[in-house]
Amino acid sequence: MDYVVEMCNITKEFPGIIANDNITLQLKKGEIHALLGENGAGKSTLMSVLFGLYRPEKGSIKINGEVVHIKDPNDANHHGIGMVHQHFQLVHNFTVLENIVLGVEDTDHGFLSMKKARKKVEELSKKYHLNVDIDAYISNITVGMQQRVEILKMLYRDNDILIFDEPTAVLTPQEITELMKIMKGFANEGKSILFITHKLNEIKEVADRCTVLRKGKYIGTIDVSKASKEEMSEMMVGRKIDLHLNKTVSNPKETVLEVKDLIVEKKGHKNAINNVSFNVREGEIVCIAGIDGNGQSELVYALTGIMPITSGEVILKGEAISKTKIRKRNTAGLGHIPEDRHRYGLILDFPLSYNLVLQRYFEQNFSKTGFLKFKNIKEYSDKLIKKYDIRSGQGAKTIARSMSGGNQQKAIIARELDRNPDCLIAVQPTRGLDVGAIQYIHHQIIEARDNGKAVLLVSLELDEVMELSDRILVIYEGELVGELNPKETSEQELGLYMSGSKRGVVS
Amino acid sequence: MKKLIKNENILGFASSLIAVIIGLLFGAIIIYIANPNVAFKGLSTLIQGGFKTGAKGIGQTLFNATPIIMTGLSVGFAFKTGLFNIGTPGQFVMGAFAAIYVGVKWTFLPSSIHWLVAILAAMIAGGIWAIIPGLMKAYLNTNEVIVCIIMNYIGMYTVNYLIPLSGNVYNSMKNQTSYLPSSAIIPDFGLNNLFPGANGGIIFAVIFVIIVHIILNKTTFGYELKACGFNKDASKYAGINDKKNIVLAMVIAGCLAGIGGALVYQSGAGKCLSVVDELAAEGFNGIPVALLGLSNPLGVLVAGLFIAHLNVGGFNMQIYGFIPEIVSIITSCIIYFSAFSMLIRLFLSSKSRGHKKEIVPIETEPVNEGGSV
Amino acid sequence: MSQLYFLVQQTMFFAIPLLIVALGGMFSEKSGVVNIALEGIMIIGAFFGIGFIHYFQTSFSNQQLVLLLAVLVSGIAGMIFSLIHAFAAIHLKADQTISGTALNIFAPAFCIFTARMIQATQQVEFKNTFRIKSVPILGDIPVIGELLFKNTYLTTYLGFAILVISTIVIYKTRFGLRLRASGELPQAVDSAGVSVYKIRYFGVLISGFLAGIGGLVFVVPTSTNFNATVAGYGFLAIAVLIFGQWRPIRILFAAFFFGFMKTIASTYSGIPFLMALGIPSYYYKITPYVATLIVLAFVSKNAAGPRASGEPYDKGKR
Repeated sequence: MDYVVEMCNITKEFPGIIANDNITLQLKKGEIHALLGENGAGKSTLMSVLFGLYRPEKGSIKINGEVVHIKDPNDANHHGIGMVHQHFQLVHNFTVLENIVLGVEDTDHGFLSMKKARKKVEELSKKYHLNVDIDAYISNITVGMQQRVEILKMLYRDNDILIFDEPTAVLTPQEITELMKIMKGFANEGKSILFITHKLNEIKEVADRCTVLRKGKYIGTIDVSKASKEEMSEMMVGRKIDLHLNKTVSNPKETVLEVKDLIVEKKGHKNAINNVSFNVREGEIVCIAGIDGNGQSELVYALTGIMPITSGEVILKGEAISKTKIRKRNTAGLGHIPEDRHRYGLILDFPLSYNLVLQRYFEQNFSKTGFLKFKNIKEYSDKLIKKYDIRSGQGAKTIARSMSGGNQQKAIIARELDRNPDCLIAVQPTRGLDVGAIQYIHHQIIEARDNGKAVLLVSLELDEVMELSDRILVIYEGELVGELNPKETSEQELGLYMSGSKRGVVS
Repeated sequence: MKKLIKNENILGFASSLIAVIIGLLFGAIIIYIANPNVAFKGLSTLIQGGFKTGAKGIGQTLFNATPIIMTGLSVGFAFKTGLFNIGTPGQFVMGAFAAIYVGVKWTFLPSSIHWLVAILAAMIAGGIWAIIPGLMKAYLNTNEVIVCIIMNYIGMYTVNYLIPLSGNVYNSMKNQTSYLPSSAIIPDFGLNNLFPGANGGIIFAVIFVIIVHIILNKTTFGYELKACGFNKDASKYAGINDKKNIVLAMVIAGCLAGIGGALVYQSGAGKCLSVVDELAAEGFNGIPVALLGLSNPLGVLVAGLFIAHLNVGGFNMQIYGFIPEIVSIITSCIIYFSAFSMLIRLFLSSKSRGHKKEIVPIETEPVNEGGSV
Repeated sequence: MSQLYFLVQQTMFFAIPLLIVALGGMFSEKSGVVNIALEGIMIIGAFFGIGFIHYFQTSFSNQQLVLLLAVLVSGIAGMIFSLIHAFAAIHLKADQTISGTALNIFAPAFCIFTARMIQATQQVEFKNTFRIKSVPILGDIPVIGELLFKNTYLTTYLGFAILVISTIVIYKTRFGLRLRASGELPQAVDSAGVSVYKIRYFGVLISGFLAGIGGLVFVVPTSTNFNATVAGYGFLAIAVLIFGQWRPIRILFAAFFFGFMKTIASTYSGIPFLMALGIPSYYYKITPYVATLIVLAFVSKNAAGPRASGEPYDKGKR
């Protein structure tokens, strides 16, 4: 059988964890092969081994039938292997060309020589319809163009075995379709593609075969055309999961959060938020949908006070809070599950108990005349740990850093929900979590809504947007360009709004 | 044993201890190279520190420890709140000057509080001197290290300029400050009987150790400071005013260093401030004390006593012809190795885990930490 | 007019060491390693360089050759000393500020100790035979000749040469490209198959080499002995680096700005116009520092140092 790549019995360990446990993967020439698994299953690690970033403890790799030793990305390159990483490896203050040649620069007695490189990149760009501005600085180009730069990096090095790590996370549905076309084009040319994902739709659309990993172990390889999404999902998770949420119809009441003509500036660029108005009522989940980088982050930071508002009004339960300090907003009924749980949500070096009272340590119950009341803090923490099933090594005194991502997020959610906010803002609440945690958090959000809270959800996962929200507001380049009813719209239509191809009226 | 290793504090202590031992080993080697004949005598003198000369030596150690405990508290406190206060020499000398000025000039004060007011003046002077790095860091995002260093030099020049202009504060014959009247000397609270040469300064140092401990660990203010030091963004999210806290933290650190100055020059040991363009060594010596003490107030106390112990030993070593700078060499080695304390701690704790395969969570955040596994 | 010439000539003595050391700091930080040990490295470099001069000055007839060899000795000494910091910061992933501080405390103690072991006093003396009264031909050019080619030292031209070479290396060579990438996004360098460790080692060693030279260049024109101190110049060089936004030409400007201020501070007594103002020497002494503070206040808001600077690179944490 002519496999172009065979990874045989690969085992890769890190301190305290076996990331890849005796995994075998075979890639045929000209095939698009998907690597499916939940977050934490071991997909990226396996591909990093193939690309020479890690050395496996056990196992071997064969390229075109011959055993090879891949010590570093240079070796991988020699064998024609290239990788587009999930987080782009592009230096922000270098040009596109400089990024492409980094590591394989042409030199003239030690001095950089860019002429040949420039020509080759221009040719490749034309051949594969990968439109880029060679002399632009990375910090000035779009995410879509950045990904094209990453692809050009691989083509520049004449790679035939192309690895894509979650390439569609940052693309619009239209851009995703284009990428699939490009991948099929590569496959037709004889290049072989490995593509890491946890999105079943994409696998169905473009992959020939799919290997499933779960918790570091190899589960199986299937022919995509013959398997159903339910089967693939069951292999991925290990049990039958109901892909649908049970959600009652929402019955929204009073307006809790009102945003009027909001403008948020961004230094040196056009406005991050440009004249945005909307409201969120009791008992409904409003979702702000959009491609990452279209202003969602700034909108939430402006509402919560982390970023200043240039003009416009934010009214919470009838009170204007546009100029109020963050603490006052928090105590006035605003809850915030932040986008970046390590940066904003938790103080990783504090114990869990301190994190659980992060928004409340100054309250009478937890402190008196400047001194902390440790007993009360511990009691409260224990209560939350029990109620929300937060798992940690040592209970309330566990240092947050050592907790798993899912449990860290649970802690944040527990904290915010238990404060009983009138308006809960949840940004990417399930990012990077496994299916079990995702289901739990979705459940909590719906319960909050059923209890009469106003929920403003910001999400990049289209599934989550469609399933959780009662109303969808699409944001594009800092403006609201459409209001959709998830029951009446499709992912395709949503994608059109998200990419700015369609505009509507927002009530 | 394994359970012991899991305890964070024990780990920290162990890693500091290892750094100390390696530093001393290094020092032993240098001593041997310098003068092999008396190497052993020299090393043992060094290690015996103040104990070699009995109660008097202990008194010397306590006296030596007082300023570096204060500057160690200063640096350690700043570290805990995420700042590197390398400005202790400047804050120390401003405090010293203020104390001496009040001591010499404000003789109208009743003798029961004269010395106390002098200490207060030193505290305020040190605090003021630290405001600028604090403000610049909080509001202008300037690296506090550079600003502190600059303030050190400005402080030194300023004090050397003001002393000759301050009338009877200046002893022009010896180019230093005048002796303080007895009302400005810190009472020894009976310590002098136990350890000749010691005075009340060390008692104050211990009191401040306790105060800092309480502030950092028992108060909401301490909670906020540590939060800002660990994670500025999350503190902001929580509504903590990080700018205010940075400034306050620097000011408190400055106060502590300033008090250090007072405790030395009001000690009654006859020490006077020389008008010479040299940065106060006691200021910089606070850094190794803070590092060894892991920025923990009680740790700083122990570390300060230990380094003072070594300093006295180093001084005594001169009999055998050794140069006291050896102590600085040893201290710098200790600091260097304490930089690996993180590593040592990881090493020790991995030993405790053995080959058990725990599920250590791998972060799957796409934002800051690594990619998916 | 002759006063202006004098001022410019003197400024060189203060500015050039700042320039060289700041450029060294640039290499280290641009590769991703914070190096606050520049002060200590300068001291070590000066010690070995001056020591070399002290012992070998008389064995050579060509004194400029002695100077050049001493420069080499200082550079190598600084480089070896910086290896200690490099090892801690890169290999052991230690806290770079702590490691740097350790070196700063070690250096003067070591120099005093060693000097007293060898020669009983801590000051290392040398004869300053290196002043060039006038460079042949170039020194006779009107105005320019007076400003740049009279009463000067070889080390001044060395400083400018280092500036030119540094700029070319950083921006026009393959090594420079990879160095800059290591300080911004080491993961990209790693994925490109280039060793981040190696590049950072080079960055720190270059900074050690230059800081060592800087120490010697500081002492030679301004004194006849070395007393285990460089008066805080290593730290001032860091301020110059930040002021210069980590770019060679701006560093040049920053170094001369500060150097000029320092020159005024120490030579104002020779300038009748300034003497007449009757300003106490204190104000002159603090002017360079206050000026630096003011500049930093304006510059720091938008200061964009290399993004990955100060963070140890850990492969596992990609």
